[in-house]
Amino acid sequence: MTEPQAPALPQAERAHPECQDDPDLRAAQEARLRAAWATPKGWRYLTAVNNTEVGLWYAGSALAFMLFAGALALIMRAQLAVPENDLVGPDFYNQAFTLHGTAMMFLFAVPIFEAVAILILPALLGARELPFPRLSAFGFWCYLIGGVFVCGSILFDAAPDAGWFMYPPLATEQGGIGADIWLLGLSFIEVASIAAAVELIVGVLKCRPPGMRLNLIPLYAWYVLIVGAMILFAFPPLIAGDLLFELERLLDWPFFDPTRGGDPLLWQHLFWIFGHPEVYIIFLPSIALLAMMIPTFAGRPIAGYSWIVLSAMGTGFISFGLWVHHMFTTGLPSLSLGFFAAASEAVAIPTGIQIFVFIATLMLGTVRRSVPMLWSMGALAIFVAGGLTGVMLAIAPFDFQAHDSYFIVAHLHFTLFGGMLFPLVAGIHYYYPLVTGRMLSRRLGVWSFWLCFPGFVICFLPMHLTGMRGMPRRVWTYSEGLGWDTLNLVSSLGAFVFAAGFLVFIWDLIRPKGEADRAPRNPWKGGALEWLQEQPPRSWGVRCVPQVSSRYPLWDDPDFVRDYDAGRFYLPDAEEGRREGLVTSVLDAEPEQVLRIGGPSVLPLGGAAALGGVFIFATFHWWWLTAISGLGALVLILRWVWTGTGEHPEKPSKSIGLGREAALYVSGPKSTGWWAMFITMLGDLTAFLGLFFGLFFFLTVHEAFPPLGLPVPGVVWPMASLGLAAVSWLATWGGRRANAAGRVGAFRALLALALATGLAAAAALAWGPWAAGMDPTAHSWPAIVWALVLWSAAHAGVGAIMQGFCLVASFAGRLTPAYDADIRNTEVFAHFHAFAAIVTAVAFAAFPEVREVAP
Amino acid sequence: MTRPARREPQEAARRDRRFHGEGPRQTRGLWRIATGPLIWGGHFLVCYWIGASWCAHAGPGAGLGPASWGVAAATLAALVALGFAFRALRRVRGLSLTDDDLVYEADDPEERRRFLAHVATLLCVVSFVAILYTALPAVMLETCR
Repeated sequence: MTEPQAPALPQAERAHPECQDDPDLRAAQEARLRAAWATPKGWRYLTAVNNTEVGLWYAGSALAFMLFAGALALIMRAQLAVPENDLVGPDFYNQAFTLHGTAMMFLFAVPIFEAVAILILPALLGARELPFPRLSAFGFWCYLIGGVFVCGSILFDAAPDAGWFMYPPLATEQGGIGADIWLLGLSFIEVASIAAAVELIVGVLKCRPPGMRLNLIPLYAWYVLIVGAMILFAFPPLIAGDLLFELERLLDWPFFDPTRGGDPLLWQHLFWIFGHPEVYIIFLPSIALLAMMIPTFAGRPIAGYSWIVLSAMGTGFISFGLWVHHMFTTGLPSLSLGFFAAASEAVAIPTGIQIFVFIATLMLGTVRRSVPMLWSMGALAIFVAGGLTGVMLAIAPFDFQAHDSYFIVAHLHFTLFGGMLFPLVAGIHYYYPLVTGRMLSRRLGVWSFWLCFPGFVICFLPMHLTGMRGMPRRVWTYSEGLGWDTLNLVSSLGAFVFAAGFLVFIWDLIRPKGEADRAPRNPWKGGALEWLQEQPPRSWGVRCVPQVSSRYPLWDDPDFVRDYDAGRFYLPDAEEGRREGLVTSVLDAEPEQVLRIGGPSVLPLGGAAALGGVFIFATFHWWWLTAISGLGALVLILRWVWTGTGEHPEKPSKSIGLGREAALYVSGPKSTGWWAMFITMLGDLTAFLGLFFGLFFFLTVHEAFPPLGLPVPGVVWPMASLGLAAVSWLATWGGRRANAAGRVGAFRALLALALATGLAAAAALAWGPWAAGMDPTAHSWPAIVWALVLWSAAHAGVGAIMQGFCLVASFAGRLTPAYDADIRNTEVFAHFHAFAAIVTAVAFAAFPEVREVAP
Repeated sequence: MTRPARREPQEAARRDRRFHGEGPRQTRGLWRIATGPLIWGGHFLVCYWIGASWCAHAGPGAGLGPASWGVAAATLAALVALGFAFRALRRVRGLSLTDDDLVYEADDPEERRRFLAHVATLLCVVSFVAILYTALPAVMLETCR
């Protein structure tokens, strides 16, 4: 595995392939590239998977959901403009603020990050595509179906109405299907987020251009990496929470019901372990856009590259220690509040560092005025104000006063507008030419800013005062003479001014644009890699994959663009008519593989539709349709994996230009698929730990847990399950090794053994509580035990499908000792699943035993 | 404290090749930048767990007593661990290859190593502050209420 590293390419050598000087050859190469990357026409346009199409659909849908949620906000502001208003009733108002928060958070703020990243990340990395375009498409369709389902419910007066964080007992006890729509719709959208996180993390780690070492990557890519990792650790606890929540609503398992040993606070913990990092998941990628824009407009490299990386990392980590500051008034011990208050103050340090780095860069450079800079400056002003009220709210005694008042509403909108919306608009102005080949209007940009900025301030600044005067959030109206009347009227006026400004921006985005709006190449005179792009943009992404040796190659290397245009770097051609990308090593971006990337396919759309059916039909309890949809999704996804991945190339390696060769097939840790599996399973492990957190949480709130007198699974069956799970794990691992050593017969036998013992382990795990007669509706102890059994059994099922897939693939000649990616990836799954299964079995046996010996 | 000798580029390059695989183990230079924050996270969780379980069982009026000592012990352990991490990083870390500054923009594996070590060191500093912050409530509060 230690192939000698090729030395970094000296400048002079780059011009080496003289053949690229032949214009006919170049034209032929371009024609082949164009054919390989052509966008499908007609209805087949919907089967497109290329990042330029999917990213555009993603961004367009996110903006549409944003306008929908914004319209709800305007209805609320109209309702609150005068006291005792009866424009809308309280029921509709409840649905409006719930959907406003839900849609803005889950359907706009997080997805727009994914959309923008999918759109621009390949260009920033000089890549043709991200490694899993079909996964992006799948994630997009999941998101669109789930989003339409959740938002559409308001047309039938059936929308969720318990607030965007759905606190039990209200949300678990209320009738109707609003809460179910929220839960199932969002679980489905979370699938899309995790898919995007996998795609983006692997994209940053493995699809960088040769030479782009970790100290040279664009800051946006660092942020994407960190935010992707945060998604993996933040979203899964919510998925675990959703599972418990839905089990309570559907089957009456009392996780959050204090009369049967549950605790509503468990939901608050799980929700905010997700919810607070989510704020930073929204904030960091937008601020990352500033990190790309500010050097361009300051005309100099960023001052303090490593400080930005530090601040993004530090913010990402510390944001996981803040969640209880949403729960300061729930009666937790003051010591606990103190810890979270301390962390909430500490997070201001790394967050502040990046703001200072931006200011320093601007001071050291010569700033050019532009619309993106206008929005950036507005963003910094608003965000700093929001951050300061955040520091106030982090102090628990102040929070006791301001909790659930309009002060909170003002604070969170200041952070979200300043930290997310304004930088995003700046970024859209900045990257619009890169994506569409047209410029946005400077005049309309200035107009929209000068409507949005004061509109925002007029709307939200008075809310601090409204809140201090005691107005609670989420009330649908208020009495006259409480001192809130004028403030509310002013806020409402500001909201409409802001809306007018935003509509100007939207009009600028969608208005027909003529030749006059055509963007020149590198319109902002940036130095980063993405501005290599030819205008108008080509569907192939980049003409060739460049060799990079600095952070701002366009500024540092005068011949860079010329050589790029002549195709003098890697992969200037598509000889076999395939879509290809270059996969490089994690640390130093040495070329390792030419990855054949999936082209247009209807499978992602079909798979998402079928999976969407599962969630939607389950909301209405149409179980037969749910089962049929589930089966359909399984078949489509298996077909996708079978036909779309791990193909055997026609030759072992190919020339990538500049005298280098790269393999066409790799497996294990060098491959993108292995990393995707590893990253997905990290998220899966976090979800498991979220469930497990429930077990420990119950331990702290009960005198003894499990309470004396309740049945327990015993020791024998959990230990039997543990043994079987261990055998299954070792057999998978041994099978992979046997296959690699060429002992195919032993491989198949071990894999069959792993499959059988894996399922038997799940059965043994379930048999303990079943035989003991544990009734999940009786108490939170049997309920959490059965939830863990369900989790383990579902994973055993997935593991069995994967092992079965490998067996069939082995017999079909798809999986051989040389082409073993399928089993390598299955092995990663087996490692993680074995850990969870063993921990679960030990906990089942140990919890009751520990209770016996504890005083 | 004297500055540790800077690692010779050749030796670093050799080491680098040895680790030039692709699994999590070989890319540990990347994961290592999380050392400081992970120590902070561990310390934070332990403190939270000590506080929550003590106060849940001792009742709201109880003094912090053993919980404070637990937090103090956890803080000491975390700071020692952080000190070791910091020292190990100082050995790798050096100034940029090009201009003896902290910009780290040279196109060289050694520079990438130093860059990652530099970020990791900075994160140790932030973690140090955050750990002290976390320990403060245990000093300033007297009861669970």
